[in-house]
Amino acid sequence: MDPDGLEEALDLSRDRSQYQGVYIYQPAKPGKSANEPPKKRRKVSSTGAQDPKSDSQQFIPLLNGEESAEGVQQRLNTYKQLWSEQEQKIQGILEDVDAGVLTDVLSFVRETSPQTCNGCIPTALVTVGSNVSSLSRLLSRLNDHLTSSGEGGVVVLESGDATNLKNSLKNVIRAAVTNTEGNDGYQKFLTDRAGPRVLGYDLDLLNDYVQRKGTKKLVIALRDSEAFDPALLTDLLSLFQSWLDRIPFTILLGISTSVELFETRLPRSCVSLLQGKHFEVQDAGNCVDRIYEALQTNPNGKLWIGRNITSTLFERASDYFQTPEAFSRMVKYACMSHFFANPLSALLGDSKRPELFQGRFIEAIRNLPSFRMYCEDLVEAGSPMEVRNLLENDRHLLEEVFNHLEIGQQRMRDIFQAVTLIHACLQHTQGTKKSTVSDLSVRALAGELGESQVVDDMLATVRAMDSEKLEGVLATLPAALSNDSTLAELKTDFGTLLETRPDQELLRSEYNINSSVTKTTVVQQRIQLSKGKANLSGQDLEYTKIIDRLVAALQEYFTEILIRPQELFMHEAFLFDLRNPLKDNFAPRPRFAIERAMGSPFDYLISSSDADQSQAKISAKQPAAAILYQLYLESGALVNVHDLWQAFLAIFESEEGNKCDERIVMALFYGALSDLKMFGMVKNASRKKADHLAKSAWLGL
Amino acid sequence: MVLRKLSDSGLENEHPAVSTPKRPRVQPKGVLKNGHAPNHPPPADDATYELPSAPNGQSTPKKANGVTATPLKESGLKTPTHRSKARNLFATPTKPKPATAAATPSRLKNADRSAKKKSARVLFEQNEDREWDGSEQLAAEILQDDEPQIDKAGDTVMETVEEGEATKPAGNDPKPAKRRAGRPKGAANKRSPTPEGELPAHERYFFQNRAGTAKTSNKNLNKVSLLTHEEYFEKLGQYVDPCKDEKEYLLSLHHRSFPQWFFEFEEGFNICLFGYGSKRRLVQQFADWIYTRSVSASANPPAIIIVNGYAPGITIRSIFATIASAILGDELPSKLGSQPTEVLELLQSALKSRPEHDPITVLINSVDAPSLRRAANQALLGRLAATPRIRLLLTADTPNFPVMWDISLRDQFNLVFHDSTTFFPFAVESDIVEEVHELLGRKGRRVGGKEGVGFVLKSLPENARNLYRLLLTELITEMDDGHQSDDEAADGGAGDRTSENNGIEFRLLYQKATEEFIASSEMMFRTLLKEFHDHQMITSRMDPSGMEILGVPLSRDEMEGVLEDLVLG
Repeated sequence: MDPDGLEEALDLSRDRSQYQGVYIYQPAKPGKSANEPPKKRRKVSSTGAQDPKSDSQQFIPLLNGEESAEGVQQRLNTYKQLWSEQEQKIQGILEDVDAGVLTDVLSFVRETSPQTCNGCIPTALVTVGSNVSSLSRLLSRLNDHLTSSGEGGVVVLESGDATNLKNSLKNVIRAAVTNTEGNDGYQKFLTDRAGPRVLGYDLDLLNDYVQRKGTKKLVIALRDSEAFDPALLTDLLSLFQSWLDRIPFTILLGISTSVELFETRLPRSCVSLLQGKHFEVQDAGNCVDRIYEALQTNPNGKLWIGRNITSTLFERASDYFQTPEAFSRMVKYACMSHFFANPLSALLGDSKRPELFQGRFIEAIRNLPSFRMYCEDLVEAGSPMEVRNLLENDRHLLEEVFNHLEIGQQRMRDIFQAVTLIHACLQHTQGTKKSTVSDLSVRALAGELGESQVVDDMLATVRAMDSEKLEGVLATLPAALSNDSTLAELKTDFGTLLETRPDQELLRSEYNINSSVTKTTVVQQRIQLSKGKANLSGQDLEYTKIIDRLVAALQEYFTEILIRPQELFMHEAFLFDLRNPLKDNFAPRPRFAIERAMGSPFDYLISSSDADQSQAKISAKQPAAAILYQLYLESGALVNVHDLWQAFLAIFESEEGNKCDERIVMALFYGALSDLKMFGMVKNASRKKADHLAKSAWLGL
Repeated sequence: MVLRKLSDSGLENEHPAVSTPKRPRVQPKGVLKNGHAPNHPPPADDATYELPSAPNGQSTPKKANGVTATPLKESGLKTPTHRSKARNLFATPTKPKPATAAATPSRLKNADRSAKKKSARVLFEQNEDREWDGSEQLAAEILQDDEPQIDKAGDTVMETVEEGEATKPAGNDPKPAKRRAGRPKGAANKRSPTPEGELPAHERYFFQNRAGTAKTSNKNLNKVSLLTHEEYFEKLGQYVDPCKDEKEYLLSLHHRSFPQWFFEFEEGFNICLFGYGSKRRLVQQFADWIYTRSVSASANPPAIIIVNGYAPGITIRSIFATIASAILGDELPSKLGSQPTEVLELLQSALKSRPEHDPITVLINSVDAPSLRRAANQALLGRLAATPRIRLLLTADTPNFPVMWDISLRDQFNLVFHDSTTFFPFAVESDIVEEVHELLGRKGRRVGGKEGVGFVLKSLPENARNLYRLLLTELITEMDDGHQSDDEAADGGAGDRTSENNGIEFRLLYQKATEEFIASSEMMFRTLLKEFHDHQMITSRMDPSGMEILGVPLSRDEMEGVLEDLVLG
């Protein structure tokens, strides 16, 4: 049997499903389609037999399939462990960021009541700005607090659910009941009522529920309050107000523009029903910075994200108002890609048994660019024997690899310690624009921080510090630096200096601006300004010396620490810096992809047969839509369909000669034209001229 | 192509000639026409081709030229380089001088001279604008050529340019096909639609959208018989795809990503596939893959739901209801609630109360299809996507689908995007014949045109046939009247226009029908019309004053044919 016939049979067997809107997948019957699925099943089940842990099937063996199953497992486990740690940290930060607003809102909800608001509905106005996701976090935590204490709950009403008054009321009531009683509880609540049956949107229901549960606070949260129809909102609010004596409503409005703008949209009668307080949620950018800092400067970090990814991440966070969640998901994805596709990531795991890393794995290490660099360095340093040893002795190589892995990771930690140190010192400057940790990190990861202006600025700041600030800085110096003997000496000198100074006065170095004095002299009716050093006390001079020593030590430290991470041997294992899977998968360019597919189809359809297809030329061998699209690109804003058809036909005629069936070509033309229409590239322009199309998309725009 | 370029740039050349050099391109065309109308009263639609011979525009610009003269040295330096460039780009300069062109020697010479003068001027005042549309290159060419280019102006030639491979238009249209029909095959990529050099996006828009190039021929599809559904499928079945193997290979490449996609699912991401081509097969195979994978790993078959977004009857509620039934099985309550939100909440709470339940995989084909595209539907899908243990795979076909989702929705969806270009035709996703006919504005003709109408009429009673005859007669008379009174309509070929544009008022037709004893009451009249309407033989629309206008979705030729058959039969 030829595969084509089978293929058709396969498609036919699914024919009935393809026009069906939605259905539950049923596997094709094995007897009917003997082609693909059974083959697969065999394949998968055989690998399943080899490896009893079904878990590791999530990862496929790399290195051309020759990676050991344990290696695969180790990658997966390491990923899971690493990410769960990171995730906890991120969660902690998010909770910490929200904590302030949450307590404010919670206390507002608890303390206000219609009585304290002169009979108006107590309203919390929360402006979220660009931090859109924070409100949902806030609301769910608020709900947790209220339900756990039995005070009530939060009902979230989306603008999409509020098409009209009945619907929105029904949704509010249902959400309020299901929040505590569950879906079944709601159904029961509806049916198990004495007296006449009440319709789903009757607020009597809610009243009943509130009475039964003894609810004290019912928060109605409108997450996207700007998207509501103002008339509907007015109706809803006035209705709530009239029930306020029976149901303890509190309104929470999420506002993404400004309170003033929101207020102007509502009629004054409606605004007068509300009384409340304004809360502001912290900006997302800050939050993102904190997450990044926490992930990268982790003292136990194993994996770092590199410069390219960092800049991509921050570009997206700032340009697209990305939420902190989305940011952390992108970091997660970067992490996932590293462990999914890089066999070296197995080295980061706990198990360092040499059996795990054999054969192809060792070969892979020997092919690393960083290994070559390392060997070249060794040769230059005059130890070719070591290189030979590395190349021939697997065991030795593995030892060295683990050694360097450790060293490299330590270097990375050091780099980020230096970054935090610089950042901390820069906080003391008076300058307007302060670099964030992320800015500094990008530079550090590119190996540019050491020579940059930032370090000079930072040293200048240190020079001008008074003794109090210096004390703080000295206390936070990273371990690598403070263990140094010169610094220890410096510290003790500084300590004794502080002790001997009279009456707790601040010591200033000669670089401090307060230490220089501007003299004004009048010489021949002209004012001369001259700067001079104020007379410094002996202790200040002593202090200046200490500062000088410190600066020198710092300079030395920075030149030693701030290296290019890409120069470290084995950096491929602990530094992930491939921009591409991340960028493509989170910021896709679908239009470009389609234009490319149609503009030069052989970018995708890798031709096996003849080479002449590689030259960009319209030919009948291309897919019909691609041909038509290229013809379309050449035309102006208006396209005559007849001429387009003739040109299309001509391409086929010129290549196939007399064999060409015009009607077949026309069928292709139909398909291609319908594709263009589907993509929104053409529309009917027969109003302007008979049988004309208007072009509605332009290449690359 | 070349012809069009020449005619266009002929126009461009003319512009600076008439207007002041400072605003070279804003000159309205009307001025041009008026300018030379007294000399050569041309047929209206050939106006642009007469342009180079307009003599009275010439004196003014010369003066203007003198005033704003660019240094001669500079232009002298530039010309040769442009000439060589033009040579490379335009490999089609020479043209056999047609015999007919010789018939009007004086006019020819004049035009030639003026073309040369203008070319010199164009080269003299080079500016960026004209560099874009190639008029400078053309000008250089004209100056260089000894052959008069007049034949492009006097519209006598229909000669294909390069290679001599005539792809003459099928019709016996005497006018030159300005753009498409005469296009030489090899010339396709001679000039790229983008100008040389990198342009910023907005400049590129204006370049691609520039005025003056929108000259198209007046030919139409009346002579071409369009495809019916049957013929379309029959012919498509005969076609052998030259790229079949390549497409299969591409699909197999996408197959390799299945483990990766599954890992993404496991980690809580949802997936969106985009790119050109139908992704239905890919999705189906992914479902197969997931199924076989988990069948071998554990005993329970996984719950996979496939949604075809392109299906016309699809509703969000039905999607949610199917998912709910997949989760609950027999426990599904008999009454689900009519609102999609209710069903969504039901399935969310069902999932929540069954923590041991396997994740549900929902595969949605064509999430950007018209029926699912609406913002409300996408918001609901977003909430579904944000539900834990729901794994969503979407495929999107259109180029601009990300605009469906704003930032908070995008956040809810939590998508990872993959380019899965497959190049498979959208055979199921769209009704191709219907779409094309709609695009061409011939949707009504699917009853089968003249034959179809005739067939239906044969089966209708006598007075129905009479009514249709009356309707056609009225429409044709009206079209004839309109033709006489409105000469300008000749431009687009009013005779070819379908009568959808003009029509007869309902009242008027009723009146005539009663006069001819076709219908005695309005009820009866309407019953007859309804019969026509059911067979899509008439169209009805409201005109601005609120009157109902009746028309026939046929071209004039077809109307006459049907009328003939009615009268004779």
